[in-house]
Amino acid sequence: MKFIGLTFLVILVVGIINPFFPFWVVMIFIAIVSAFIGLPAFVSFLAGALGMGLVWVGQSFYLSIYSGSDLPQKMAELIGVGSGMTLVAITGVLGFIIGGLSAWTGSAFRKVFTPAPDNIYRG
Amino acid sequence: MKYLSLIVSLILSVGLAFLISRPIDSVPPLAGLLDPNHGFWQNTLSEDQIAEKEIDLDNLSAPVKVIYDEDLIPHVFAENELDLYRAQGYITAQHRLWQMEFQTHAAAGRISEIVGPAAIELDRMNRRKGLAFGAEKGLAGMSSEPEIEAILEAFSDGVNQYIDGLTDATLPVEYKILNYRPEHWTPYKSALLLKYMADMLMGDSDLQFSNLRKILGEEMVNKLFPYFPKDNDPVIEAERIWDFDPIQVQSPDTTVYPNDLLVMDPLPQPEPGIGSNNWAVSGSKTKSGRPILANDPHLSLNLPSIWYSMQLTTPNHSVKGATLPGAIGVISGFNENIAWGVTNATKDARDWYKITFKDESRTQYKYGDEWRDTEFRIEEIKVKGEDAFIDTVVYTHYGPVVYDKSFRSDRQDVNFSLKWTAHEESQEVKTFILMNKAKNHDDYNDALDNYIAPPQNFVFAAKDGDIAMRIQGKFPVKWEGQGRFFMDGADPLMDWQAYIPFDQNASTLNPERGFVSSANQHPVDPSYPYFVWDRSYEHYRNRRLNNELRRMDDITVDDMKALQFDDYYLHAAEALPVILDLLDEEKFNSDVAKKYLQELKSWDFYADPNQKAPTLFYIWWDKIDDQIWKEWYEWEALVTTPNNYQMVELLKNEPQGEIFDHKNTSETETAATHVNAGFAELVETMSEWESEEGDYSWANYKRTSVRHLVPQFESFSVTNIYTGGGRGILNATSERHGASWRMVVELGETPNAYGIYPGGQSGNPGSRFYSNMISRWSKGEYIDFSLRSLDDTQGALFTTTFN
Repeated sequence: MKFIGLTFLVILVVGIINPFFPFWVVMIFIAIVSAFIGLPAFVSFLAGALGMGLVWVGQSFYLSIYSGSDLPQKMAELIGVGSGMTLVAITGVLGFIIGGLSAWTGSAFRKVFTPAPDNIYRG
Repeated sequence: MKYLSLIVSLILSVGLAFLISRPIDSVPPLAGLLDPNHGFWQNTLSEDQIAEKEIDLDNLSAPVKVIYDEDLIPHVFAENELDLYRAQGYITAQHRLWQMEFQTHAAAGRISEIVGPAAIELDRMNRRKGLAFGAEKGLAGMSSEPEIEAILEAFSDGVNQYIDGLTDATLPVEYKILNYRPEHWTPYKSALLLKYMADMLMGDSDLQFSNLRKILGEEMVNKLFPYFPKDNDPVIEAERIWDFDPIQVQSPDTTVYPNDLLVMDPLPQPEPGIGSNNWAVSGSKTKSGRPILANDPHLSLNLPSIWYSMQLTTPNHSVKGATLPGAIGVISGFNENIAWGVTNATKDARDWYKITFKDESRTQYKYGDEWRDTEFRIEEIKVKGEDAFIDTVVYTHYGPVVYDKSFRSDRQDVNFSLKWTAHEESQEVKTFILMNKAKNHDDYNDALDNYIAPPQNFVFAAKDGDIAMRIQGKFPVKWEGQGRFFMDGADPLMDWQAYIPFDQNASTLNPERGFVSSANQHPVDPSYPYFVWDRSYEHYRNRRLNNELRRMDDITVDDMKALQFDDYYLHAAEALPVILDLLDEEKFNSDVAKKYLQELKSWDFYADPNQKAPTLFYIWWDKIDDQIWKEWYEWEALVTTPNNYQMVELLKNEPQGEIFDHKNTSETETAATHVNAGFAELVETMSEWESEEGDYSWANYKRTSVRHLVPQFESFSVTNIYTGGGRGILNATSERHGASWRMVVELGETPNAYGIYPGGQSGNPGSRFYSNMISRWSKGEYIDFSLRSLDDTQGALFTTTFN
């Protein structure tokens, strides 16, 4: 449940912050949200990655369809990576990695500052 | 453990952020490019999808309303000229910012700043030609009049307000790919743009002719390159009487030219066969009884397009037509009262002088009996990713010493200074500001009195019925032969001694024949009292155009459109019978040779896209040219060969002539030898081409393409356009050059106007308005260019108000 919650929060963060700020500001916010939720590292990574990856794929896909532009195709030819849809995928993968690493860092940060419960075996 | 997780994740995150926000070699920062909110994805939006109803524009005295038609042509309504040009700056930048800046960077020799060391040679050349030097002088001229200066400042302010409002998202995609940001626009950049155009349009062959003179002797040069052709059909009608006293200049008693054989790369030249057409027919020849004017400048076919269309309206005037992004006002267009257009008027406005320096320091040079001081201009060329390149250019009173020990002539101890009218103080901006609001022939002349370079044939027609042509530019008075060869800069008689007064520049008003026209041919008949010469005069388009105009009556706008798109290949019509006559058909028995011959013989001489014969003729002629001038092409020193017209004359009139014999072979070659060898080569080349590429109809062979300004951005270009025409044809569309703008205007109570250009209003390769006019252009179609009034929003794409 918390996993879905974090994914959803990351989607919100990217959707709201990214239009106004560059990607590295978005990274900081994802880390903060992830630290706040406090899921284990790997789960946080997945939630952050999925959240940001989905938004970036969604946005780039939406822009291609809405605009009807052949620019993605032209850019793909320029870069030499096949079609415009390949670029949507590459954009998604980049968002996936950025979001994932940010959320992982946030989770790891929280771990460091959360005191581990002492003497749990001594009763 | 928990620390390890933090350290690893932090290093990876920071490392990634660092990696994707920095360029790696020529790859731009990935985040900036791919981020859907800021990267290239944002450039997929067309202008109507991001249209704003209101835009804040500071320093306006009243709101400015803009109506965009369905092709994104802005119709700008302002209360006064300063508001108008401020809005022109903003709007042009909205659609063409990257192009405006790139072209002026090119003229200023600053491309290395963007692309790195690969462009140093190009930048050095542009600086050594003195384009920036000329722009500084040009700006001085413009700024000497406060009204013009205020307009230039207003335009710059408009551009800069747009630049200041740019976000990562709205930045043109080229900046994102090449990873740099726009800088502020200045009036100096508007001056640079005019030098960019001057450079594109003006060339010289002094180097090639000097070499030819050295090798062949002056007599032979004169025979092969006569001052006037047999069929001269000049810009100003031959019957024109010249009733003024010309200024006399003193020619040297004995003309001794520097006698070096010059083995060096010349500066790049304008493409041969490119040029432009313009004409106006008087009401006596039109169906409606009103004058009709037509203009189609032929330039390199580029994207973003060279031209940008606009209507500019104040309560006092309303003008529409083609603007040059970065220049003020409309360059080729019409208003309620008049229409005008431009074609290039080459007249050898660039000369080269051999400089004799006193010593190695190059601080003084010989001029007559004295030693004159030079000036040194230090050119600092900033280079992306490297230290700046410092180039020192020596200036004499002639101009920059372009070729010297450090540039283009490494093996030779030569110094040549370039004299060029584009280096002089000028007022071209004022010309167009005045022309935009001209009401009659007098206003047109007043406007042109400010125009210096690049020289143009300005065609004119007015609502009151006048038609006119004036060849305007600053032209030196030359003694016969002056400027054909490199000259001795130490001899003052070789220098330009005077300029032709503007009222003695060739011009005509309402000539008897009922039309005026120009197609880059000889400007005048030999009776004009000044020496006129250029290597590149057109010999075909002009005759076709004038023959048609003489023949036609009851002319309509549609007739004029058809004439702009006319594919008649006059050169082929004159040359083919001659070479078919010289061909020994018996020798070519193969089926394919017979097929080619049959196609050539049954040809109607139209270079339409679906015709096969133009391809065959074009290749055959090219092969004949190779055969005849084989020895010339092999010389170490660069020369130029006689033009197509003179070649036809030689083939026709002296097929046994000495000129056809190659000196280094034992046989005696004649015209027939080359024509037959050329045909053999045609058969070979063409059958090979046919087996590899298939259909050789003209459009398939010619492959007209419109290319992005950055050659590497191949996918931003439009290639293989199906269209006819070619060099020397009225529809002058060749592989990379052609009608960059076509306009036909019928004057009257309200002007009836049509226009088109091979591109689109938007400079954004992602916009649906980037290249949307190309297919209509390629079919000879036009869009309605009538003036729009403020309350006419019918069919408007959107409207914007600047407050």
